[in-house]
Amino acid sequence: MKKALIFMLALFVAVSVAFAASDKGIVTVYMPSPAGLANKLAADFEAKTGIEVRTFQGTTGEILARLETEKANPVADVVILASWSDGLSMKNSGQLESYVPANTENAVPGWIDEDSTLFGYSASAVGVIYNTLIYPELDADWADLADSAYRNDIAIPDPELSGACKDFVSGYVNAFGWDTFEALAENGMTVPGANKAALEAVTTGEVGVLIAGVDYNAYSSIKSGEPLAIYYPESGTVVNPRPAMIMKTAPDMDNAKAFVDYLYSDDAQKMVTDAYLLPGRTDIEYTNRSTLAEIPQIECDWDAMMAISTDAAARINELCAR
Amino acid sequence: MGKKISSAIVILLLVLLIICPLLSIFREAAFTEGRFNLSGAIATIAESENAEMIASSLLLGILVVIVSSLIALPLAYIFSRTEFAKYRFFDIIFMIPFMTPPYIASMGWILFMQKRGLMQQLFPSLAFISDWFFSLGGLVLVMSFHVFPFMMTMMKNAMLSVPSSLDEAGAVLGARFLLRIRKLFMPLLTGNYAIGALLVFVKTISEYGTPSTLGRRIGFEVFTTDIHRYATVAPIEFGKSASLASVLIGICIFIWLLQNYITNRRSYSLVGSRPGSVRIGKMRRLPYILCWIFIILVIFFTMVIPLFSVTASSLIKLRGYGLRAGNFTFDNYVKVFTEDKQGTGALLVSIFLAVSSATIASVLGTLSVLASRKAGKRTGRVIEGLSLIPEMLPSIVLVLGIMLFYNGIYRLVPIYGTIWIMVLSYVILFLPYTVQYVTSSFSQIGSSLVAAGRICGGSPSYVFIHVTFPLIFRGILSGWMMTFIIAFRELVTPSLIAPTNTLTVSTYINRQFEQGSVGKGMAMAVICILFSTVSLLLLNKAVAMQKK
Repeated sequence: MKKALIFMLALFVAVSVAFAASDKGIVTVYMPSPAGLANKLAADFEAKTGIEVRTFQGTTGEILARLETEKANPVADVVILASWSDGLSMKNSGQLESYVPANTENAVPGWIDEDSTLFGYSASAVGVIYNTLIYPELDADWADLADSAYRNDIAIPDPELSGACKDFVSGYVNAFGWDTFEALAENGMTVPGANKAALEAVTTGEVGVLIAGVDYNAYSSIKSGEPLAIYYPESGTVVNPRPAMIMKTAPDMDNAKAFVDYLYSDDAQKMVTDAYLLPGRTDIEYTNRSTLAEIPQIECDWDAMMAISTDAAARINELCAR
Repeated sequence: MGKKISSAIVILLLVLLIICPLLSIFREAAFTEGRFNLSGAIATIAESENAEMIASSLLLGILVVIVSSLIALPLAYIFSRTEFAKYRFFDIIFMIPFMTPPYIASMGWILFMQKRGLMQQLFPSLAFISDWFFSLGGLVLVMSFHVFPFMMTMMKNAMLSVPSSLDEAGAVLGARFLLRIRKLFMPLLTGNYAIGALLVFVKTISEYGTPSTLGRRIGFEVFTTDIHRYATVAPIEFGKSASLASVLIGICIFIWLLQNYITNRRSYSLVGSRPGSVRIGKMRRLPYILCWIFIILVIFFTMVIPLFSVTASSLIKLRGYGLRAGNFTFDNYVKVFTEDKQGTGALLVSIFLAVSSATIASVLGTLSVLASRKAGKRTGRVIEGLSLIPEMLPSIVLVLGIMLFYNGIYRLVPIYGTIWIMVLSYVILFLPYTVQYVTSSFSQIGSSLVAAGRICGGSPSYVFIHVTFPLIFRGILSGWMMTFIIAFRELVTPSLIAPTNTLTVSTYINRQFEQGSVGKGMAMAVICILFSTVSLLLLNKAVAMQKK
């Protein structure tokens, strides 16, 4: 009995200590997947600066929701999203602090907005991911996947949860209209969930082809030996910078700025490419995936895309639910 | 005088902990900008998709009652009035569906049933079942598989209280088996059955785990998932969430009142009903075999399939190749602990929450039982009723209330967004376990014992420490144990109000299942099931030792 009490007390103390802040202060960062990258960035930043990083990881949808809940009592210092258009709408509602981070001389042109509030320190693109046990070879364009050969064997990540998919949908619809998505939905396209759930569906063969699957996930699964392949259809895709943003309401403003500086450092950029993402600087080399220059891109009008993206994402779910 | 103060304090505490959060739900639903205005709430309920959702929640509840009755009633009969009553190990086996958290079981079913999933890999010709499974029918089955043991246990106990002499009298007078069931058993058991059915109904419409995994997969929205969605996915609409929660509270209260009414109307005290009054004859061969087949089928579908599916998925190396020789590994288990700090962190957080909330709930629960026994009859009733509210309402409703209440008083009590609000929420949710166990252990103590202690010169505190407390300690320990096990795997609270950086076992599994590695998620699920089973066995042993 006594022993049990002592054990509980010890556990209590241990957990309280674990939740206490370190003396160098803290920075609270909300970031999307991949979880591995988020944890590594946090750990490395902690080791370099002694500032404790508290992270909340979730999909773009979950992060936006959390910010909304906490409006009265802001917690987040830095917010990273997987959707550039959602970043723009945060800027338009006046939530973001302007800042010029260090190490951004070689930043990819256009990946930092003109007011210097959105910092695209990394990027992903979406492509067609297919199961090689079901389709040994595939290079169909987006619209060709509405062919009856792929009937009931295609899926798309939920654009209301996946920022990358949401940006692709609004970019594609803005450029080419709704015909392709309507035809795909007609062809039995399903929405299995956020990025990882959608990738899981094509990995296990629940579907053979994933449309608008986010690429870094696919590269890492292919690397571990899963029977998958990815390509970017010739009519083009959306490369989508993942914006890091400093909140105006950041409780730890200096630490927030230090964290954004860190994201553009050599070490952090190296971790970005190790996670199969595109780096935010042009002078970083990588060979483990298609380079930015190799990816065919749709002309993006981000302001027009931002205006339609939320409704377009909802429309995809409606089309596929039928 | 002291009595009054102590019961006043307990009532105040319970009101603060339980009633205030519930009131904040009604406030959120019924007040806009400080003014009473029901139009928002009414508009929400009348929205066609919400009305549809309410209808489908109720339909789900009814279907689950029907299916779980079909499973539970024959089993209850078999385990109370046939030779199978001797086999006590079935009691332990039928704890398994309860030990498996519903969200884990439904993940197991999804992995088993999905296109090119485990079932199709083993039996490709059964592919047609998959299409059927991912529908309302599959959802009803999976939920019934989880909830049927409650009804089974209730009905078993009810059937045990019908003495065999009645049955024999019927037989002697020439009534055949089916006629005896119809004219004798059914009238005696309707009351109990109605109570069991209502319990299953409330449990079903309150359940969040299965609808949030399997239900979401098939686009079947119910109360709990909609309340959760409005409160967590952008754009946030607490007003809508609260309106739906209020409707759900209304339905639950109505059902409990109905249950109360039935209990009062339909309870019999049977002459000759005492333990051992059920005599069991030898069965004939055919019924005996049929019983075995039925039991084995139930065990196979409710336990073997989901557990097999979860375990197999945790051992598969490359998901693309599935069940195939050479594609198995323990890597996922290693990765849970080594790949990052999250797995270990989640386990520690869950253990911490389970231990702290079980301990605090034991103290608070015992105090409120003591207060309610000391106080006058009226006040005692009030205290007991208050402390049992969390048992009657869906946990998602309470957690939503806690969220709204503590967000509102953040400046006064800044615990929103910390681990302590989770501890608090767990304590509130699981308080009824301690209250029920301690109350029932009190009912076994005669008042003469305490009186004897007082006559022998013990002061009230001396008598409490040396007489009362040792006698109710078993009850407290059982309550602690139940709270610990349920709290360890709790899903609703952490998915609504976990602070940044904090994962529990349940949210870890969910996150890995939906956005990470299914293998790692299922490895954690196996660890979770083993952990709760082992703690249950150990604590059972501790309680048994206390008995001596």
